[in-house]
Amino acid sequence: MNETREALLERLEKEARQLRRNLWRALRAGGGGHAGGSSSAADMLTALYFHRMNLKPAEPEWPDRDRFVLSKGHANAALGAVLAQAGFIDDALLDRFYHFESPFGMHPDIKVAGVEMCTGALGHGLSIATGMAFGARIQKKPFHTFVMLGDAELHEGSNWEAAMAAAHYRLDNLTAIVDHNKIGQSGRIEELISLDPLADKWRSFGWEVREIDGHDMGQIVDTFGALPLSKNRPTAIIAHTVKGKGVSFAEDTYLWHSNSVNDEVHAKALSELGEA
Amino acid sequence: MNSATSTTSQWREKSDNQTRLAFGQALLEIGAREPGSVVLSADTQDLLGIRPWIAKYPDRFIEIGIAEQNAIGVASGLATTGLRPYVCAYAPFIAARSMEQIRNDLAYANQRVVIGAAASGISLGVAGGTHHALEDLALMRSMPNMTVIVPADVNEAYLATLATLDIDGPVYMRLGGRTPEPPVTDDSAAFTLGRASRLRPGNDVTVIACGAMVELALRASDALKADGIAARVLNMHTIKPLDHDAILQAAAETSGIVTAEEHRYAGGLGGAVAELLAVEQPTPMRMVAMPDEFAVVGPTVALREKYGMSADAIVAACRSLLL
Repeated sequence: MNETREALLERLEKEARQLRRNLWRALRAGGGGHAGGSSSAADMLTALYFHRMNLKPAEPEWPDRDRFVLSKGHANAALGAVLAQAGFIDDALLDRFYHFESPFGMHPDIKVAGVEMCTGALGHGLSIATGMAFGARIQKKPFHTFVMLGDAELHEGSNWEAAMAAAHYRLDNLTAIVDHNKIGQSGRIEELISLDPLADKWRSFGWEVREIDGHDMGQIVDTFGALPLSKNRPTAIIAHTVKGKGVSFAEDTYLWHSNSVNDEVHAKALSELGEA
Repeated sequence: MNSATSTTSQWREKSDNQTRLAFGQALLEIGAREPGSVVLSADTQDLLGIRPWIAKYPDRFIEIGIAEQNAIGVASGLATTGLRPYVCAYAPFIAARSMEQIRNDLAYANQRVVIGAAASGISLGVAGGTHHALEDLALMRSMPNMTVIVPADVNEAYLATLATLDIDGPVYMRLGGRTPEPPVTDDSAAFTLGRASRLRPGNDVTVIACGAMVELALRASDALKADGIAARVLNMHTIKPLDHDAILQAAAETSGIVTAEEHRYAGGLGGAVAELLAVEQPTPMRMVAMPDEFAVVGPTVALREKYGMSADAIVAACRSLLL
């Protein structure tokens, strides 16, 4: 079927609305969680799982699947939601977020279908994704590896070890997405430790960089569709986002990096998100 | 016999009585047997003798540079794609600096990655305390899913490295430095993971040793024999999973147990044996190990003497259990 661009964007925006409804549903089940960073990542996760990535949800271990590593593992509510919507996991698992013995906890667990690595200790994912991309090269496999990093996560020095190596080895089958919502756990990143000039940092490490609006589905789809942006270079997409995007009281504040979610808060959030 | 046997004299000579080089030699056989094997270096191409691998398998070699955290993360990512990574590194750096990557990306995620950790213990004696690895066994054996191996000589290092092909999870292989590790094991015997080998019989007292200390334990046993004391020597090459049966048997059949290791007193082989015996079969013990301090600068053998990691110290510990 030939989907028009208009239809594609409409379909993805509908999935993204559903994803946000589902992640808030998980947060309610858990009594709270990382609403801010899950919501800022939601549109890009949607575009990856419902458009860009080559996946077989019924065969999660398919060797040629594209890889996605959620290095900012605290956004696991969003990852769980997208995996449920894409058919990797049972939708009912979303109602067991944080529950006793649930495989769906605060951070991704490799035992869950569709989850590629246990992440959330920050500064690990880019190295792991570099290894996956290298694994594709060595085995002459066609898959592409995506890794999503938090912006405050870039304070971890290990990221830059991996950035150096991936560029040195010209891994153009690797794309790092920086969810640049400008806010960490304790406040605005500029006031914690400044990342600027962020794009220049990546460029100086040998990466091809593009800055986009991480909530503009058209820009997201166009950028993902153009990968690799440069032959012989890994790509860094710096996605400008809003922490807590979609729910006014959670937007652009460190207070909603992680917070409690009860039935009332959940209902308020859903009323703003609208129907999927 | 297989190809390994036909080239035994070659790899043995090239290993030059150093377990770190035997690891590099064994990798060549692994490369031939396992097409998915990949070698990573943290700027350690000579330390583990992997230049022959690089020449033979350039497409299955990754130089990471002096970036141990990245080395472990990349290895984990490679393993998820079905490859079998072997990370060549310095013990003092890979174990401590990359501890979180080893815990999360290898142990928690249970990835099949082997770490060849050379220059362990006080083998880099003159480099000073910044370069001594005297906590690595404590760190590595505290993690679920980890296998921890300390070969005693090049024969054992070679066989243990081959044995990693059958281990379904991460492995920490503790290797020595430039100080020669003389042959102590029976090179006609198979290496059995998790099964201590008895190198000397004896029912008076037991010495349980690993790595370079095995040779000193044998010397101690021989010295005690001259005085009519039969000291059993167990080569505990696998620290995890620990051979409970051999330890409990020694505790039942002999008057006490002396452990000997080139590792700090806290948390190593002695700690592992004590944890078992304290619960299962309280037994008089002595531990020959590095005390709770940082070593001064000096040659490895002189440092071992200074800090009580010597055949004489093992003899004295055995005697004290028989008073």
